[in-house]
Amino acid sequence: MKFIKNHLMFILPLMAILLGVEFYLVFDRTTDSYEKTLTEGYTMLVVSKKPVKLVTFQKLNKHIISSKQIERSNIISEVAKGVSKSSSKEILAVLPYFYNLSLDSYLKTSELGEIKKDLEVDKNIKRVETFGSSYNSSYRLFAFIKFTLKIFIIFMAVVSLFLIIKQMEIWKYAHKERMQVMEIFGAPLMLRSGVLFRVAFVDAIFATIFVSGIFFYIKFYWAAQSGIDIISDNQEALFQIGDIGILFGSAIFIVIVAVYTVVFSNKGAQE
Amino acid sequence: MSNVIQASQLTLAYDNGAKEIIKDANFTIKKGEFVFITGPSGSGKSTLLKALYGQLTPTAGSLVVGGNDLAHIRRKKLQELRTHMGIIFQDYKLVNEWTVSKNVVLPLMIAGYSSEIQDTQARRLLKHVKLSEHGDKYPLELSGGEQQRVGVARALSKNPVVILADEPTGNLDDYSSNVIWDLMENACQQLDTTVLVVTHKIPTIFSLPYRHFIIESKGVYEVH
Repeated sequence: MKFIKNHLMFILPLMAILLGVEFYLVFDRTTDSYEKTLTEGYTMLVVSKKPVKLVTFQKLNKHIISSKQIERSNIISEVAKGVSKSSSKEILAVLPYFYNLSLDSYLKTSELGEIKKDLEVDKNIKRVETFGSSYNSSYRLFAFIKFTLKIFIIFMAVVSLFLIIKQMEIWKYAHKERMQVMEIFGAPLMLRSGVLFRVAFVDAIFATIFVSGIFFYIKFYWAAQSGIDIISDNQEALFQIGDIGILFGSAIFIVIVAVYTVVFSNKGAQE
Repeated sequence: MSNVIQASQLTLAYDNGAKEIIKDANFTIKKGEFVFITGPSGSGKSTLLKALYGQLTPTAGSLVVGGNDLAHIRRKKLQELRTHMGIIFQDYKLVNEWTVSKNVVLPLMIAGYSSEIQDTQARRLLKHVKLSEHGDKYPLELSGGEQQRVGVARALSKNPVVILADEPTGNLDDYSSNVIWDLMENACQQLDTTVLVVTHKIPTIFSLPYRHFIIESKGVYEVH
């Protein structure tokens, strides 16, 4: 019982940190794809007196990646319903040119304002519509979710770190006697810390397996049945094989730091 | 006979030199000698022993053990030197989560001997200290005298050049003390090991010739 308790006291905080790492990875991937969707779905409208090429737009602002002219004939057909053909031609002659501009990334509303300013420098451009208010509300919601999750992950990591420090204190006392005796008889550092390393290494493996197991379950069972669109759409981003390596690497890093801290703080036999 | 330990103008102190315990001590101990170091409580007997196994660095002078000056020794070299020492403590310093056998072969384990050699040596040494039936027990299952015999067996396991003993019989009754003195006399006589013992009192029954140093008023003096 004591044996299991000793292991769990390190495995659980380690798992909490690894969950934080994996949440971060998943969230990063999911938000990346969500951001991409938002970016792809967003265009700003530009009205110009004369035709404007994409290169010209890009010279004005580097965030513009494509421009699509709205067919003027389509506009005329909507605007000039019931108007004679000759009148339609007259309207067409004075009708400005309309463009939908796409951007390279999901920008802040202030950056959209800057793009608008840059475009309005061109005398041909009569008007720029960024649709800032609807864009702003989506952006703020998105930024808020991103921020709160990061805070949650940081909080979880800090609490877990304190638990690990607590466990290190326990290790320090539990292994002190043996390490000091071994040091007196000339054992090198690796031999002195061998037992502790083995214990911590096994814990790191278990923590990685448990966390990977949780995310496997989420990805293949829970996500599929959740009925939540954003999760179903991003199921692939939930857990990837490469994450096991990242989780194990993180666990081993924590183990090495924790064990060496304990070993070095135990240096010097107390008589 | 070659010198195993040589102290020249040796000064030992705590608190970064502020608290001097031993000052300008000079002495030499040769291979195969049995040496008692006595002195009142707090005179610095254990401090000298700590310095001899490199736990305390000399503040001034030199302390050469097995050809290594402990005032300037590197960590790696100190680790290696310690593998040629057998150290016995008043409080035994056994690893309580290890069996008696494993405790005995600790120096062999550190030196990287195979488990077969370790097992053979453990059996031989436990027989030597009359604890053959206790190999699989844990230290806390033994009496104080038995634990100290395990400590002696551990100190002897790698045929050390020098045995350093800090009050080895301090916690033991007369019978157990005599057993320990016998074992240490044997080591000195049969293995030609230098034995240096810090103690309050020299045993009354002791058959080997020995040297006696006394620590008083920060000095180390030989008693003739």
